[in-house]
Amino acid sequence: MAIISICRGTKSGGQALAECLAEKLQYPIVAREVVQEASADIGVSEKDLSRGFERRPTMWNRHASDRRLYIAAVQAALAEHVVAGDLVYHGRAGQVLLRGLPGVLKVRLIAPMGDRVRKVMESREMDAATAEQYIRHVDGIRARWVKMMYGQDIEDPVLYNMVINLKTMTVPSACAVVRRAAEQPDFAITPEVKAKLVDFRLACRVKVALAAARDTRSLDLQVEADGGVIEVFGSVPALTSGQMGEQIVAAARSVPGVDEVRLKVEWFDPYP
Amino acid sequence: MAIITISRGTLSGGRATAECLSDLLEYPCVGREILQAAAKKLGASEELLAKKMEDPPSLWARLTKERKNYLLAVQTTLAEYCETGSLVYHGLAGQFLLRDLPGVLSVRLIAPFDTRVRSLMGSHHGMTQKAAEEFIHNVDEDRKRWVRLMYGADVGDLTLYDLTVNLESISQETACKIIAEAAVQPQYEVTAEVKAKLEAFAAACRTQLRSLGDD
Repeated sequence: MAIISICRGTKSGGQALAECLAEKLQYPIVAREVVQEASADIGVSEKDLSRGFERRPTMWNRHASDRRLYIAAVQAALAEHVVAGDLVYHGRAGQVLLRGLPGVLKVRLIAPMGDRVRKVMESREMDAATAEQYIRHVDGIRARWVKMMYGQDIEDPVLYNMVINLKTMTVPSACAVVRRAAEQPDFAITPEVKAKLVDFRLACRVKVALAAARDTRSLDLQVEADGGVIEVFGSVPALTSGQMGEQIVAAARSVPGVDEVRLKVEWFDPYP
Repeated sequence: MAIITISRGTLSGGRATAECLSDLLEYPCVGREILQAAAKKLGASEELLAKKMEDPPSLWARLTKERKNYLLAVQTTLAEYCETGSLVYHGLAGQFLLRDLPGVLSVRLIAPFDTRVRSLMGSHHGMTQKAAEEFIHNVDEDRKRWVRLMYGADVGDLTLYDLTVNLESISQETACKIIAEAAVQPQYEVTAEVKAKLEAFAAACRTQLRSLGDD
């Protein structure tokens, strides 16, 4: 059992690879569904949520709270799938949404531009120049998103366990290689890993609760879980009402499974 | 059967991975030793050839006939190793010396800088962290410039390789198994037809080397 996350540019064979892996390993396969599930969970249309994700960085600051909620919701939807311990995910930003989690095999797929252009020309009835422009546009959005959110270059190989180039290698061969990797003990879902996945799911649920609650939605908070104990990090304004701490604790405690909330936040004076 | 080339930064675990693959697949394994055979072809000493091959790029800037000869001798030697149809090569510039040949799986290994620094400090007792960092940085830069000069390419460009493996969070054994799985895929199989092409390549290298000698 392992969690396989596939990152690739548009029309780079990611879907075919994911389907092959899911079939051979008998793992569930998930991609855009997490966006649908997230939108249902927080009562936002899928279109709005997708747009919130892809909004240009300059627009983002004005919508920081919405963005936080959308991303937390997508991550939480993904966490619900991940907790089962076997999964092929080929949707948005798996390498960053699942960052730091054990048991995750992160694969990047690259393919020659010529091959990708041909695929887009066929599927979208475009000429070669428009198809290439389209690919660069979509790749650009994804790359900017990762850069903006995590300050990382989507093509940096250190974000992945392996990078496969489909120039010579076929999808069935890439499938065999990734499958072999997924079988290795490095990615085994041991009881310890499983416990971390459960913690991750709880932390994600709490993040959604904090990003959705009226009193805490403006705060940029990080959450870690260990069993039912939640730790909340981030910079929080020390308001005269003095209730912000209680509000964070209350929002976090509203999530089933949370037994204790420890505030590890840094207080700052918003009116120095 | 396949030919595997492994490219990596210094102290990134290239030799250990190559040896593991060689054991697992029962392919011969060759790295720097290739220089010895290449030197013999030129009637030069291995030390001289190694020195010339590893000269800082500034000295290569003038791509003299002598240097071209050295490089061709190395390529010819490597091509001859490939004629048998199975090889793990972890020496210099395999991805370029065998570029566009069928039956070749080109692999890049990457490892975190810190791990490489620790590995160097472990093998050279008394080396400070700063000295180890500088050494690795300088070797990386030299290789980068060498490849840029010789082949006009960026050694870190992942499109040059079929497979890149990051040793940060996976073990050497796992990396070895992943690469071995790739090597047995049909795209890299040295069929009779591929073998003929490898032999023709070696023959062409030999002819070119001889003609340079005749000049």
